[in-house]
This record gives sequence, C-alpha cells and structure tokens, in this order.
Amino acid sequence: MNVVRRKQDLRFLFEPIVDALGYKFSPDEEIVDFLLEQEVKLEDKHGIPFCPCQAQTKQRDHDMKIVCPCIPFHRKHYDTMKRCWCGLYVHKDVTDPDSLRQIPASAIK
Amino acid sequence: MKHVTLYALSTCPWCMKAKRFFTKKKIPFECLDYDLVSDKEQERIMEVVNQHGGTGEFPFVIIGKDGINGYDPDEYAKLLGIDK
Repeated sequence: MNVVRRKQDLRFLFEPIVDALGYKFSPDEEIVDFLLEQEVKLEDKHGIPFCPCQAQTKQRDHDMKIVCPCIPFHRKHYDTMKRCWCGLYVHKDVTDPDSLRQIPASAIK
Repeated sequence: MKHVTLYALSTCPWCMKAKRFFTKKKIPFECLDYDLVSDKEQERIMEVVNQHGGTGEFPFVIIGKDGINGYDPDEYAKLLGIDK
C-alpha cells in the first residue's frame, strides 16, 4: 500500500462529491493530511474508508452512514456545525476551521 | 475531583486533543480506545455511551455523571470547576 498515493487518490475521488454538497476540504492542511492517512489505514483494514472519528458498530445500516464522505447522511447536523464531524470537510465559506466546534447530533433541533 | 473517563478512537485527532487537555491540566483520567479493544468490550462501551446520550461519535467523555460528546474543552473545564 502506497499511503501517499492513496491519500492523493481519496482527495481526487472525494473533492467533486463534497463540492456538489457545498463543502470543501478544510483549509487546515495538517488535519486533512492526518485524517486522510487514518482513512487510508481504515480502508486497508476494513476495505472501506470509514470516518476516523465515528465508531463502527458492525451493524451495516449504521456503519454505511459513516463511510467518508458521510455528509449526505448527517446533512442537518453538519450544516449546523458548518463542518463534518471529524473536520475533514467544512462549508465552502469557512476560512477559519478552528472556530468551528463539534456539536453533538443530539443537540441539533 | 470527579472521575473522568475518555472513550476515544485511536484514529481520531479530536480524541488526541481531549487526551492532551486532561494530561496538560493534570486531571487523572481513564482512557479506552474503542477501536483497540475486543468486540465484547466495544459492546460494553457503546452501552455506556448510549446510556449517557452518546451515539458513536468520538471523543466521548464522562465527567462524574455527565456525558460530553465531542471535543469541548470549555465544557470539560466547567464540569471540573477548573480554568480552561
């Protein structure tokens, strides 16, 4: 597994998907690089690039909702935070990702 | 001092930030990496997390009886009665 190459591949694959959803990769390159590396490792282990910050439960209906990019399954939640849970993606208008907090899904009305 | 338990994922940078927060503040805490334990232990952790209002998003921190979903140093400090 060439991790560097696979990270580039995932960027290439995910960018047009999240762009159509109104999101972009976080401007925080350090965290983007770290998260993509974790996804490459998760993909190597499980065959699927799961979100590095959400737990797999081995229940397919749940686990399929945390496959990156998981924005469509958590639209209201992520739109409220202006970021996805792990912070790999932010709304297109976000320039300061450090200002965005993780808000639990249960707190979103 | 309230008992602190941090449920984390070894792949999650926000979990690492939470670990750093408690370490830096010298707050004793119990830490379990959900993805590094047995299936049986994962089931137990998820039960505890669900009982405290969590849904599988990490980090999940229990301070005393309160569950905090996500990296939230302000809330951690507030519940512990310490400066952020």
